Amino acid sequence: MPEGGRTLKLRSDQDLVFFREDIFKARDPKKTCVTICGGTGCRAWGGEEVRLAFIEEIRNQGLEGKADVMRTGCHGFCERGPVVVILPEEIFYQQVAVGDVPEIVSETLLQKRLVQRLLYTDPATGRVITYDHEVPFYKGQMRKVFSDNGRIDPTEVRDYIGRGGYSALSKVLFSMTPEDVIDEVEKSGLRGRGGAGFPTGRKWRFTRSSPGELKYIVCNADEGDPGAFMDRSVLEGNPHLVLEGMLIAAYAIGSHSGYVYVRAEYPLAVQHLKIAIAQAEEMGLLGDHILGSDFSFHLKIKEGAGAFVCGEETALLASIEGKRGMPRARPPFPAIAGLWGKPTNINNVETYANIRSIILEGSAAYASIGTPGSKGTKIFSLTGKINNTGLVEVPMGTTLREVIYNIGGGIPRGRLFKAAQMGGPSGGCLPSQYLDLPIDYESLTQAGSMMGSGGMIVMDEKTCMVDIARFFLAFTQDESCGKCVPCRIGTKRMLEILTRITRGEGREEDIDTLADMGKTIKDSALCGLGQTCPNPVLSTINQFRHEYEAHIRERFCPAGACDSLVFAPCENTCPVRCDAVGYTALISGGRYEEALSLIRLTMPLAGICGRVCNHPCENMCKRGEIDEPIAISSLKRFASDWELRQGKMTPPTFLEKPKTDCVAVIGAGPAGLNAAYQLGRRGYSVTIFEALPVAGGMLAVGIPDYRLPREVLENDIRFICQHHIEIQTGKALGRDFTIGDLFKQGYKAIFLALGAHLTQKMNISGEEAKGVFQGVDFLRRVNLGEKIDVGEKVAVIGGGNVAFDAARTAFRLGAKEVSIVYRRTRDEMPANAEEIEEAEHEKVRLLYLVAPTRILMENGKVKGLECQRMELGDFDASGRRRPVPIKGLEFVMEVDGVIPAIGYIPDLSCLPQNDGFKTTKAGTLSVDPITLETHLPGVFAGGDLVSGPSTVVEAMASGFRAALSIDRYLKGRDLYQDRAYQALQRAEVPKAEEMETELEVTKPRAKMPAMAADRRVCTFEEVNLGFDEETALREAKRCLRCDLEH
Amino acid sequence: MLESIDLSRLEEALQKHMGEEGALIPILQEAQEIYGYLSEELLNHIGKRLHVPRSRIFGVVTFYAQFYTTPRGRHTVRVCRGTACHVRGGKHILKAVQQHLGIGENETTADFKFTFETVACLGACALSPVLLVDKNYYGKLTPAKVDHVLKQYA
Repeated sequence: MPEGGRTLKLRSDQDLVFFREDIFKARDPKKTCVTICGGTGCRAWGGEEVRLAFIEEIRNQGLEGKADVMRTGCHGFCERGPVVVILPEEIFYQQVAVGDVPEIVSETLLQKRLVQRLLYTDPATGRVITYDHEVPFYKGQMRKVFSDNGRIDPTEVRDYIGRGGYSALSKVLFSMTPEDVIDEVEKSGLRGRGGAGFPTGRKWRFTRSSPGELKYIVCNADEGDPGAFMDRSVLEGNPHLVLEGMLIAAYAIGSHSGYVYVRAEYPLAVQHLKIAIAQAEEMGLLGDHILGSDFSFHLKIKEGAGAFVCGEETALLASIEGKRGMPRARPPFPAIAGLWGKPTNINNVETYANIRSIILEGSAAYASIGTPGSKGTKIFSLTGKINNTGLVEVPMGTTLREVIYNIGGGIPRGRLFKAAQMGGPSGGCLPSQYLDLPIDYESLTQAGSMMGSGGMIVMDEKTCMVDIARFFLAFTQDESCGKCVPCRIGTKRMLEILTRITRGEGREEDIDTLADMGKTIKDSALCGLGQTCPNPVLSTINQFRHEYEAHIRERFCPAGACDSLVFAPCENTCPVRCDAVGYTALISGGRYEEALSLIRLTMPLAGICGRVCNHPCENMCKRGEIDEPIAISSLKRFASDWELRQGKMTPPTFLEKPKTDCVAVIGAGPAGLNAAYQLGRRGYSVTIFEALPVAGGMLAVGIPDYRLPREVLENDIRFICQHHIEIQTGKALGRDFTIGDLFKQGYKAIFLALGAHLTQKMNISGEEAKGVFQGVDFLRRVNLGEKIDVGEKVAVIGGGNVAFDAARTAFRLGAKEVSIVYRRTRDEMPANAEEIEEAEHEKVRLLYLVAPTRILMENGKVKGLECQRMELGDFDASGRRRPVPIKGLEFVMEVDGVIPAIGYIPDLSCLPQNDGFKTTKAGTLSVDPITLETHLPGVFAGGDLVSGPSTVVEAMASGFRAALSIDRYLKGRDLYQDRAYQALQRAEVPKAEEMETELEVTKPRAKMPAMAADRRVCTFEEVNLGFDEETALREAKRCLRCDLEH
Repeated sequence: MLESIDLSRLEEALQKHMGEEGALIPILQEAQEIYGYLSEELLNHIGKRLHVPRSRIFGVVTFYAQFYTTPRGRHTVRVCRGTACHVRGGKHILKAVQQHLGIGENETTADFKFTFETVACLGACALSPVLLVDKNYYGKLTPAKVDHVLKQYA
């Protein structure tokens, strides 16, 4: 807003001071001002339309002249754009739409009332926040470079001057020598923010002392790292801050001419820079005789033309010179011979943006922030799988955890953090063990990553690290200038290998070839692009080698991201590769029998898994990105229930002709049952030896009837036994027969699937008292029909499914009060989420962060449980916070029954001692991970016996693996080669046109009907009632048919 | 394609930058603004006026991604393939655009309505996955939304 068109030139430092005072006088700090974020991000959200709506509405409601509307620079909280902050109160409104504007004007501007729905609600606490500075996203930050962004109009130099702008320049010109300036910058410890982190003061000193009168200042605004946009926001939001820094640098170095090289993809930044330069020139802050002094400096803008390599300093200078942007060897460095051969100081946007505060606050104050090696603040662009995408400015030394969780709000949809990529295509990934790393130049480099320009991309379990490596390399390969052989040819070869791996065509030697090639390219490439482009590959191989191996050896992508390897996310994630998308499609078409047959292609326990599976498939379901995942597990139950009601069973399916070889399976749990089934279908004769009087393992004696009714278990077992399988109960290994006996009887191979049935002792005193029932024992005895008097007030110790099963069973045995005591927090409980909810529904008390210390006895019977309150302390190697006791907060629970359920381990006593069986530290049996062979020929082992307590579906997967191994063993084939998953012939499944899939409309997931809570605890009848046909059809039709994308 | 273009429209830009060091790139940028793309005839003319050999001009033009030597569509569709967009499913958006327009990357539709490009990063990561049609941003995309967006420009 020019003053009546008069050109105002400032010709002295006094002029600037007076001018600033005039601005203050003309300003009314109490006047309402509606600030709207004008950054590219918020504009993309529709911010401009909101701003225009405000102008119009203010006029309509008679507030013209009484309320200003200001378009500011980027506020940083991009996730919540368009952002509107009402001054002077600093009321923070987010996600403001054009339709909200009339209400904001009438309610907030006119009547000083808040529009609640537009305020920010903190998802962690549920608290509604009114003011800008209280928003957790901002609270955790130290916004110094960004301090003006939300309060000035970047196209109005007065706003900048009004906030103290150009006072640093004035101080430098009139009270400091160039040497003074360089001293200050050196003492501050500022290091280049472009990525390399070279000490800025030292670079200025080199340039200053280079011989020659003509020197240049260049600003590198070619922010090319994908995912980095902090420089853009500084240039768009506060261009004068950068100009002031450049002017001070020019004075210090003795330069009178400079360039800002901005990438072409930033039109708004270019526009605002042009306006800023024009205004600064007009006011005598740029050009000849700045502020009336002897110092002159002219600045031009050069736009990039779409080449990432031009972010490299020598390539950038070549581009300014009108040439192809190809780097050259250094030395000589630009400080000695740069632009047109003259000494040139080239710094990043953010580096220049830090100069003002160093000059005004002093180097000591600046250096008081950060770590010994890295001073000041750094801006990070936080993107990817993060709740609060945006720009974050924090002191150096802030940990990754603080940025990602406290400021960033954590990972969406409660997914697990997998890694943070820092340094873009030049950097490396940091998995969860680095979450407590303080961010500074040295620590990142030591961890195999680098600061880079400040891009921080957060990844969750659905990100494939091999794919990420390939992604970055594809980018750098494309951007390679081609000048040097290592980069031009090396990146191409590396990319070929990575692409092959993601397509399932990887070879065993590929990983080592990539590592070798990467090191060579790093050592021999000409410029920073080539020297750092192998980093993402080397870093992911280092931290996630097992993912590469899975892609190569098993043609499996654990994250479900590589298209060529993933049929559908649900099927890909299922440990037994059950064709969930297929049977869902069949159910949606009313073809229930076919659905059940399709399920039974990969596993025989449909009714069981439909009730108790922990369903990793639902976690990966793409529908979950729109509204809620498909109820895949419950649909499986529906198909199985349908069969039960029909009273007939799907016929057995044999894959091969009958054979004479017999196989013995020890243990009729899920691992043994599936192994037997898979062998039986392939023609073998199988006998399962089960020590207990019933078959099913944990399915029979671990999981209570109210979760898994007896008839469902029996039905699934009956289906299995149609395949020439005999189950002999009451036969225990060691007690009734030995492995040697079985071979003598003519069995050709043996699968040990003994499970894990010994409860881990808590090792506290009183554990031997009457009224203490070890968890797994307790459940087994109840499931086998024993009526246990568990007491009136029961404490169950533990947080897994066994603990919850025990707690809910205790109620059903007549206990009046049941509590679960767990030493960590709810989020860390391993039990299924549904189990926890059901328990709460049934009024089980959940005590978190409590650990038992002693069982109090009277006359040998349980009288009470002494407990210790805990709090979360430091992180341990697993990435979880270790609970530590809070001194003085011990208490006693009055109980007469205690059920420890903290864990269980296999009982290896039945295996011949010193016979060569190896065990792991965890007390499980050690076998070959790929073939499941033990040291004895023809003897294999799997399930919980090998893995420790795990899930039903993992046990079945283990049984499947063993069956395949045994099949090859008996056919004399190699057990290792080609263990990649081979999809079985898929039955005919409906095509998309036959289904009504609605992609956009959000439809909630079907709810499982359940027995009323008060009725439940009196009976062992099944709690969940199952979907009826209408519900099942509706739910199945929500499926997006990810398989049809191929 | 063999018709002569009106080279006088470039005069103002040539005058503005004449004598400047490193003028070639800004002149090429302005020429592309005016004519939509850099034809061989145009490049020869620029070379003559700036006394720069054709080999050097072509060397510069082919180095930078933003210089086009073939005619472009009326609308440019740019799909972001930056890291944040990639992590949030950008490749599905790319496929959807390919399917809708029936052309591949760096190609133009036969009716010259659309040119399709990808960009390494648009810097609007909070909206990922993102695409740009001319200067308009469209974010939080799904393959279904892509159809909706592109239909607006038909």
